Amino acid sequence: MSFRKTLFIVLAIVICLGALPAAAQDEPIQMSMWVRSIPFQTQELVDQWNANNDSQIELTVVPSGEFVTKMGAAIAAGEPPDIASIDLIYTPAFAAAGQLVDITDFVRELPYADSLTPAHMELGMYEGRNYAVPTGVDGSFIVYNIDLFEQAGLDPDNPPSTWDGMLEAARAINDLGDDTYGYWFSMNCAGCNAFTFLPFIWASGGDVLSDDYTEATIASDPIVAEALAFYNTIWEEALVPEGASIDNGSNFVSAFGAGNIGMAGTGNFAISGYTNDFPDLNFGVFHIPGKEGGAASFGGGDVIAIPSGTEHVEEAWRFIEWTMSDEAQIEIYAANGQIPVRLELVDNPYFEGDDRQLTAASALAVGHTPYTTVYNDLFNDPNGPWLEMLQIAILDGDIDGAIELGQERFTQIMEG
Amino acid sequence: MTSQFAVWNLSWVQRRKLTGLLFVLPTVAFVTVFFIVPLLMTVFMSFHDWPLFGERAFTGLANYSELGKDRQYLKSLDFTFRYTLLVTPPIFLLGFILASLVRRNIRFIGIFRTIFFLPVVIGLGVSSLLWVWMLDDRIGVFNKILLDLNLVTKAQLFLGRPNTAMNVIILSVVWKTVGFTMILLLAGLQAIPDELYESAEVDGAGYFRKLFYITLPLMRRFIALALILSVIGSVLSFDQFYIMTRGGPRNSTISIVYWIFNNSFTYFKMGYGSAMSIVLLGILVALTGAQFYVLRERE
Amino acid sequence: MAATLNRDADRAVNQLSQQQIRRLRRRALLALRYVILIIFALLFLFPIAWSFINSIKLPAEALAVPPTYLPQQVSLENYVELTTYGKIGVAQHVYNSALVALITVAGSIVLSTLGGYGFARFDFPGKNFLFIMVLSTLMIPFQSILIPLFVMIVQVDLHNTLFGLALVYITFQLPFGIFLMRNSFLAVPLEIEESALLDGCSSLSLLYRLMLRLVLPGVVTVAIYAFINSWNEFLAALIFMTDQDNFTLPVFLTTIRYGIWGDVDWGALQAGVIVSIIPSLGIFLLLQRYYMDGLMGGAVKN
Repeated sequence: MSFRKTLFIVLAIVICLGALPAAAQDEPIQMSMWVRSIPFQTQELVDQWNANNDSQIELTVVPSGEFVTKMGAAIAAGEPPDIASIDLIYTPAFAAAGQLVDITDFVRELPYADSLTPAHMELGMYEGRNYAVPTGVDGSFIVYNIDLFEQAGLDPDNPPSTWDGMLEAARAINDLGDDTYGYWFSMNCAGCNAFTFLPFIWASGGDVLSDDYTEATIASDPIVAEALAFYNTIWEEALVPEGASIDNGSNFVSAFGAGNIGMAGTGNFAISGYTNDFPDLNFGVFHIPGKEGGAASFGGGDVIAIPSGTEHVEEAWRFIEWTMSDEAQIEIYAANGQIPVRLELVDNPYFEGDDRQLTAASALAVGHTPYTTVYNDLFNDPNGPWLEMLQIAILDGDIDGAIELGQERFTQIMEG
Repeated sequence: MTSQFAVWNLSWVQRRKLTGLLFVLPTVAFVTVFFIVPLLMTVFMSFHDWPLFGERAFTGLANYSELGKDRQYLKSLDFTFRYTLLVTPPIFLLGFILASLVRRNIRFIGIFRTIFFLPVVIGLGVSSLLWVWMLDDRIGVFNKILLDLNLVTKAQLFLGRPNTAMNVIILSVVWKTVGFTMILLLAGLQAIPDELYESAEVDGAGYFRKLFYITLPLMRRFIALALILSVIGSVLSFDQFYIMTRGGPRNSTISIVYWIFNNSFTYFKMGYGSAMSIVLLGILVALTGAQFYVLRERE
Repeated sequence: MAATLNRDADRAVNQLSQQQIRRLRRRALLALRYVILIIFALLFLFPIAWSFINSIKLPAEALAVPPTYLPQQVSLENYVELTTYGKIGVAQHVYNSALVALITVAGSIVLSTLGGYGFARFDFPGKNFLFIMVLSTLMIPFQSILIPLFVMIVQVDLHNTLFGLALVYITFQLPFGIFLMRNSFLAVPLEIEESALLDGCSSLSLLYRLMLRLVLPGVVTVAIYAFINSWNEFLAALIFMTDQDNFTLPVFLTTIRYGIWGDVDWGALQAGVIVSIIPSLGIFLLLQRYYMDGLMGGAVKN
C-alpha cells in the first residue's frame, strides 16, 4: 500500500515538473550531439560553432563499441540526441527503422552535393531519399616502412602495385631477419579486415555481394578465393608475426608503429597517431592493389544525421551545412590533417606537397562501402561469418571449405 | 495516547511482524522499482519480435521455441557451465589459503591483506585489457620473461588455442577476484571464537580435525555467500571473453551472456535476447536454490 | 626436602626447554608464513607493478617490441596525456565516480543494515519470498534489463544525473548487502538483544545503539563491495548519462583508443589503471582498520 502511495507521489511530482511552462521563446536553442570516440575534428567544429552562433551544441563522445547500444536505449526511451555522427555502415539500418529525419530537400539545395564522398552519400540514402551526409571520411590504404624498404633493397618510391609485388616486397623484408616481418593483419578483428581486405577483392573487379546487395557472391566470384589464397600465402610463409592471427584489433595501428613491420593495411585515422607517437617512423602510403593492378579502398568513417523526434531540425541542419562549408572543411578539417568530405577541396594549401595525405585522400575517390542493413551481422560481428571465413581460409588453409561456409552463412543472414 | 495510533493496539507478536516488514520495506521498494518492473518489461519483450529500433510485433512463444534450435545458445550454455566448474575451485582453494594466512594480526599483515585485495578494485574490463596486453606475443611481458629464461623457444600465443585461452582467462579471473573471496572467508573466520580452537587443541585435535569439525561448519553461511556470489558471477561472465578473446578462437569462448549481448545489440534482436535472459534467470534461481539446499543449516 | 627441591628444579628445566622448543617452533612457523605471504604478494603485485612501470615510460617505449623491463627514460607524459584526453580531462571523471560511489556506499549501508536486521530477527508473512526476490536481482544479466531500466529512469526524470545512477547501483548491491548483513546479525547471540529489549529499547534504537557496533565488520564489507562495484561499473554509467561531463571514470577509460577498430593506447591506459586504483586503495586502507580489529569475535566472546 505504502509503496503505491510513494509511487503515486513520485509520479505526481514528475507530472508537475513536466507541466512547468516551457522555456521562453528567445532563449538560444540548446542541441545535443553524439559522436563515437574517433579522432575526427568534431570537438573543434562544435567549439567554433558555439563561439559564433546563438544556438549551442553540447557534444558527447560515446565509446565506439557501445554507440549503437546507447543509441538504441536512447531511442527506446524517447531521448535521442538532436544531431548524431554515426558510423556510416549503420545508416541503412537506422534509416530503414524510421529513426532519422529525411533531409533530401536540404541536400538538393547544396551546390556541391555531387562532390561529397560517394560512398558516404550512398550509405546515407534509403529508398531514394537522403538521411545523412558525410562528416568524417576515412579510406583504407596501405602504409609501408620506407627504412625497411631501403634496407631490403626495394625502391621506396615505387611501392608494390600488384599482389605478387606485395608478396615479393614482404619476402624481401622478412629476409632482413631480426624479428622483421613483411606484413601485418589483425586476423581476429572482423571490422579491421572488412576495412583492409575487402578492397583487395574490389580492386581486382570482384565482390562478396552482388551489385544490388541482395545476395552473396562468395562462391560464384572466383576472385574471392584468389584473394583468400593471397592472404593464406602471407600467413603460410610467415610474412606476418604469428600473433597477428589472434590480434583482436588492439594492435591494428600500433603493430606497424613498432618499426619491424614492412607493410600494413590501415586508414587515414592512423596517420596522425603514427606521426605523433612514433616520430622516428619513416613511412609512406600506397593504394590497396588488385591482383594485376588497379586500386580500391573501403570508404569508412562517419556520416552526420538528425535523429527523428528532435524539435530543432532546421537549426541542426544549419550546423551540418556549416560543417561542410569551405571554411570548416579547409580551416578545421584540412588544417588538422583530416580529409575534407568534399573531394574538390582535397587540393588545399594544407595538403600541398604531402604525398601521404594526397594518396590517402585519393583513395576515397575509389572508396566503396557495402550497402546492407545487416552489415554488422555479416562483417563487423567478431563471431560472424566474415571473420570465421577468413580464419578458416587464411589460417587453416581450407579455402574451399571457408567459401562454402561463408556463402551459406551470408545467405542465411541476408535472407533474414 | 494508545487510541491515537492503531498500531499500539496490536499484540506484541503482530507489532514485531509489522516492525520486520518496515525494516525490509526500503529494500523491497528499491528492488521493485529498479529490478522487478524492468524484469516484467523484459518478460513482455520476450513475447515479441522486438528490434532495437523499428517496428515490433507480438510473436507469442516463438522466441522460446527458437532457443532449442539455436546451436550457439546450447554451445554457449555448455561453455559457460564448463567455465564455472573450472574457475570456482581455484578461487575457493586459494581464497581459503589466503584467508588463513592473513587471519592473525601479525606484523605487516595489513599490507599483505591490501596486496591480495588490490586486484579486486580494478574493473574486470580494465583488468582483462591488462591481461591481453601482458599475454601478447610481441609486447607482452610473459613471453618476454619466458624467452629470457629460455623456457620457450618462440613467443606463445596464449589466447590462440581454446585450451590455453581458457587457462589464461581462468588465471586472470582468479587473480582479479580471489581477494574478494578471501575477505568474505576472513569475515567468517573472524567470527569463530578462539576459545573453540583452544579447547580443541587441549583435546589434541590436529589441523584437519579442527578444519573439518570447527572451521568449515562454523563458516557455512559465509562459504554459502561466497560460493553463491562466485557461481552467479561466473555464469554471468561476459567482459573477460568480450575483451580477451572476442569469443575466439573459432567462437569457442562465447559465454551465454556474450551471446545474449550479441543478439540484443549486434543483431538487434532484443526480444530473442530477452527470452534467453529469462531462461537464464530460471536456471540461476534453480542453481542458487540447490546451493542453499546443500549448504542449509542442519540440526 | 632436598629431593623435592631437586624434582622441582628438574621439572622447571624440562618446562623451560619445552617452552623453548614450542617458541622455536612457533617462530619457524611464523617465518614460513611470512615466506609464503611474500611469495604470494609478489605474484599478486606483479601485474599492477608492471602496469605502473609502463605508465612511466615514454608512450613509444610502452609499445616497444620486445618490451623493456625498466624505463629507459622516466616520463609522466602518459599521465599528462590523460589529463588532456577528451573535453574535460580525467579529474572531472574521477570526481563523478567518487560522488556516485559515495551515494552508493551510503545508501547500500543504510538499506542493507535495515533489511539485513529485518530478515535476520523478525518473522513476517512473505519473508522467504521477499528474501529470494532480493537475491534474484543478481541473477539476470544486467545487459538484458538495461533498456527497460533506462526507460524507467527516463520516466522518473533521473537520467543524466549521478544520483539516478547511484540509485540503480544501490539496488544491485542489495542482494549481497542483505545476505551479508543477515549473516552478521544472525551471528550475534540472541541474549544480547533480548536483554536490551527487556530494558525497553525500541527496535530502531537497539539496532543503532548496540547491534551496529557488533556487526561493523559486515557493514564495512558492504561498504567496500559497494564502492568497488560502483567505481568500476561501465555499461549503465554509459547508457544513463547523456552528457559527457557526467561520464564516470570507467567510461572515460574506454575512450583511450587510437582509432575505431579497438586499437589501445597502452601507455595512457596503464596511467588510467593506476589513477583508478589509487582511490580504491585509499578507501580499503582506511576501512580495513575498522574491519580487521576482530570486533565481531570480541563481541561474541564478551
